[in-house]
Amino acid sequence: MSYELTIEPLGQTIEIEEGQTILDAALRAGIYLPHACCHGLCATCKVQVTDGEVEHGEASSFALMDFERDEGKCLACCARAESDLVIEAEIDEDPDAENLPVRDFDGTVSRIESLTPTIKGVWIKLDKPEGMRFQAGQYVNLALPGGIGSRAFSIASAPSVAGEIELNIRIVPGGEGTTYVHEKLRAGDRIRIAGPYGRFFVKKSANVPVVFMAGGSGLSSPRSMILDLLEGGFEQPITLVYGQRNRDELYYHDAFLALAETHPNFRYVPALSHEPERSGWQAFRGFVHEAAKAAFDNDFRGNKAYLCGPPLMIEACIATLMQGRLFERDIYTEKFISAADAQQVRSPLFKAI
Amino acid sequence: MDMKATKKKLGMKERYRALTRDLGWESSYQDKDAIFPYVNYEGIKVHDWDKWEDPFRLTMDAYWKYQAEKERKFYAIIDAHAQNNGHLNITDARYLSALKIFLQAISPGEYAAHKGFARAGREFPGVGTQVACQMQAIDELRHAQTQIHAMSNYNRYYDGFHAFADARDRIWYTSVARSFFDDAMSAGPFEFMIAIGFSFEYVLTNLLFVPFMSGAAYNGDMATVTFGFSAQSDEARHMTLGLECIKFMLEQDPDNLPIVQAWIDKWFWRGFRVLGLVSTMMDYMLPKRVMSWREAWEIYGVENGGALFKDLARYGIRPPKGWDDAEKAIDHMSHQFMLGLYQWSFGTSFHSWIPSDEDMDWLSAKYPDTFDKYYRPRWAHIKKLKAAGTPFKNYGLARLCQCCQLPSVFTEPDDPTLTCHRETVYKGEKYQFCSDGCKDIFDNEPEKYIQSWLPMPALFSELGGDVGAWMNWVSLRDGDDNGDYDGSTDQKHFNEWRGLATSNL
Ligand SMILES: Cc1cc2nc3c(=O)[nH]c(=O)nc-3n(C[C@H](O)[C@H](O)[C@H](O)COP(=O)(O)OP(=O)(O)OC[C@H]3O[C@@H](n4cnc5c(N)ncnc54)[C@H](O)[C@@H]3O)c2cc1C
Ligand code: FES
Ligand SMILES: [Fe+2]
Ligand SMILES: [Fe+2]
Ligand SMILES: [Zn+2]
Repeated sequence: MSYELTIEPLGQTIEIEEGQTILDAALRAGIYLPHACCHGLCATCKVQVTDGEVEHGEASSFALMDFERDEGKCLACCARAESDLVIEAEIDEDPDAENLPVRDFDGTVSRIESLTPTIKGVWIKLDKPEGMRFQAGQYVNLALPGGIGSRAFSIASAPSVAGEIELNIRIVPGGEGTTYVHEKLRAGDRIRIAGPYGRFFVKKSANVPVVFMAGGSGLSSPRSMILDLLEGGFEQPITLVYGQRNRDELYYHDAFLALAETHPNFRYVPALSHEPERSGWQAFRGFVHEAAKAAFDNDFRGNKAYLCGPPLMIEACIATLMQGRLFERDIYTEKFISAADAQQVRSPLFKAI
Repeated sequence: MDMKATKKKLGMKERYRALTRDLGWESSYQDKDAIFPYVNYEGIKVHDWDKWEDPFRLTMDAYWKYQAEKERKFYAIIDAHAQNNGHLNITDARYLSALKIFLQAISPGEYAAHKGFARAGREFPGVGTQVACQMQAIDELRHAQTQIHAMSNYNRYYDGFHAFADARDRIWYTSVARSFFDDAMSAGPFEFMIAIGFSFEYVLTNLLFVPFMSGAAYNGDMATVTFGFSAQSDEARHMTLGLECIKFMLEQDPDNLPIVQAWIDKWFWRGFRVLGLVSTMMDYMLPKRVMSWREAWEIYGVENGGALFKDLARYGIRPPKGWDDAEKAIDHMSHQFMLGLYQWSFGTSFHSWIPSDEDMDWLSAKYPDTFDKYYRPRWAHIKKLKAAGTPFKNYGLARLCQCCQLPSVFTEPDDPTLTCHRETVYKGEKYQFCSDGCKDIFDNEPEKYIQSWLPMPALFSELGGDVGAWMNWVSLRDGDDNGDYDGSTDQKHFNEWRGLATSNL
């Protein structure tokens, strides 16, 4: 049994399971709510319930006093839904969020291509002619058959081609879902996706130069975002720092070179970390964060940075950006979090990165 | 047109802005530097105070409403505790030693924090910062008051609670916490924020409050549990303020990094030394134990502190310089300090005791590498002396560290059989230290620490070395407040009253 949880002032509606806390549901949906102790003592996570019923759980009577309960306040870290809910939280409205509703979309696999030895491009033609509206950078949940369940993949194509969605899927050794996509999925198969999910999109309204850092299978979102910006006539400088292990893995390399040719405000910085010595690769050798540091001469001030890729790469890039004087308010990430990452103890120093 | 447009209620964010940032103004007939004279002299460069992100959005009107309600609730519980002889619900009167140390050493720290934040709120130019510091100043005052009130009921029945203010000012072990806060308060506003807002409230507070409050709960002390809950609902705000301040400094200018790093090194070590008191409380003073000091350190120090320093590394901050020495001290400090307290118990306004056989078995289980090897034999010896009618008393005075003011009872980080001792000669005077950490702090600012008031020298300079006069001066009643718990008035009374309360006699 699950309920709908609407979070104001974002206006976004997400699912909340019975027994799940409001905080947990929000964080899992990628919506940051302020929190600290996570067990009802500190009141950092206090929110206003404007509609619906909650169970207050283990909220301390000092952190959430009786008169506040009467006023409809609750502590998101211990409150559980007993009906559909609308809450108002102390979070900023995001002028760039379109808050598109999440829907199920049926479609047909129209094409599968090997982009690299480990990554397949999968194109899905949606039944609805108008396709799926999404913001460049968002992701979908791909429903896989045979009890595998659904897996998250970022959309690699631009929102302008809403009728056919492109996904780039890297095989995870031993991974049920990605192995299915690589070995069993065929053009012509029927498939269902749900989306669009996520709050990873370009803050166009800020109108400042943007830098994308992508590694591994993290290219999808940045690619969609860049295509979208260039199509929309975005005039600020755009830089893509894109890293893979070797040239074979560097998919869409030629396409980015071509884009850089035709768009003077787009700079393309590829980097290979494990390319054989004498391969003739002329561009940067090393990791994404090192390439970015060199390309920006260690000064990232005035940019907004969008990072997408494996957790280790993201971590290295954040440190590089911060030591190049770009801080949390200008850094956005999409981590491909696995269960193990989610369990790490984090300090409350940073909220979103 | 007589149609009234219903005015949209201000959102939380606008309401906050109206009641904080909008209260500020640009000065016109006074120079900014004259109004905020202390904000530059520490060398911290700030280019844009508007980049200070208010870590929480609480307006003063809402603040008053919440705090008033907390007070009402708190006093209702405390009154009930007093009326129902709540003091007889504690596990054992030995527990009270932990409370006495808290009241003499830590509650005054709350008051000091109050003064410090009131000052910081005046000295910082940013409005968001000013409001946050003001609220914390009032919180800390409330913490000091509620703690004193919660514990005052014990003062009606037990010794050692009656003169905590004198103890705070004059007795020796309390000067550890006192000098910590005095050092912070006499620093500039940014260093104060690192000292109290960051190091104490964030890095160390969990190691202090969580074990202490669970200790209170385990040992039936509902009065303390209540002030704990009431204070804890403020602490998240305090921690966020400290964290925001450190981020702000690091983001404003790259030149701030080495200054902040030096403060982190300093205040971690100073805080760690204050926690020596807590380690002893956890391992020795709770009749019913919560967890060992080592276990608390693993959770709140290694795990949480480790996560924090991992995040700070993104700015180029490294873990505090004394971190490794701290880790090496964990399995020793509570034992070394309790042995110190026991041998000097004639001069403490609380009781200590020889751990029972059962206590010692627990200690060897929790400290398998150190307790049986280094400390059990000493307790066994002390126990033998007591049985022979010649209890071990050390009437010599401890050599105090010029920085942390603890007696130098700790050992070398790499040799637990050798007392650690460092010294510096400055302007022809010799100064003593308990550790490299404390010596470094002194060497960095000698003019500050040569002014320290140290209790042992004061015994001679102010009272000519007369211990009896000293006891009067610190309001310590010999034979009541001090000495071994075994045979004390507290022990006698508690057992009698508890007997009356739980039997039909
Ligand atoms: C928001 C979001 C967007 C994503 N976008 C893309 C994308 O565009 N392209 C893409 O290829 N992948 C993407 N991923 C990652 C993708 O969802 C996983 O690789 C996929 O779910 C793995 O499913 P599986 O059934 O093959 O593996 P599982 O059977 O679920 O897992 C097998 C093993 O691999 C581990 N594992 C799972 N995922 C990862 C990972 N990402 N890194 C390291 N170890 C992992 C698991 O912990 C487990 O041990 C995205 C993830 C998220 C959260
Ligand atoms: S996060 Fe502390 S009360 Fe919810
Ligand atoms: Fe406090
Ligand atoms: Fe505090
Ligand atoms: Zn010292």
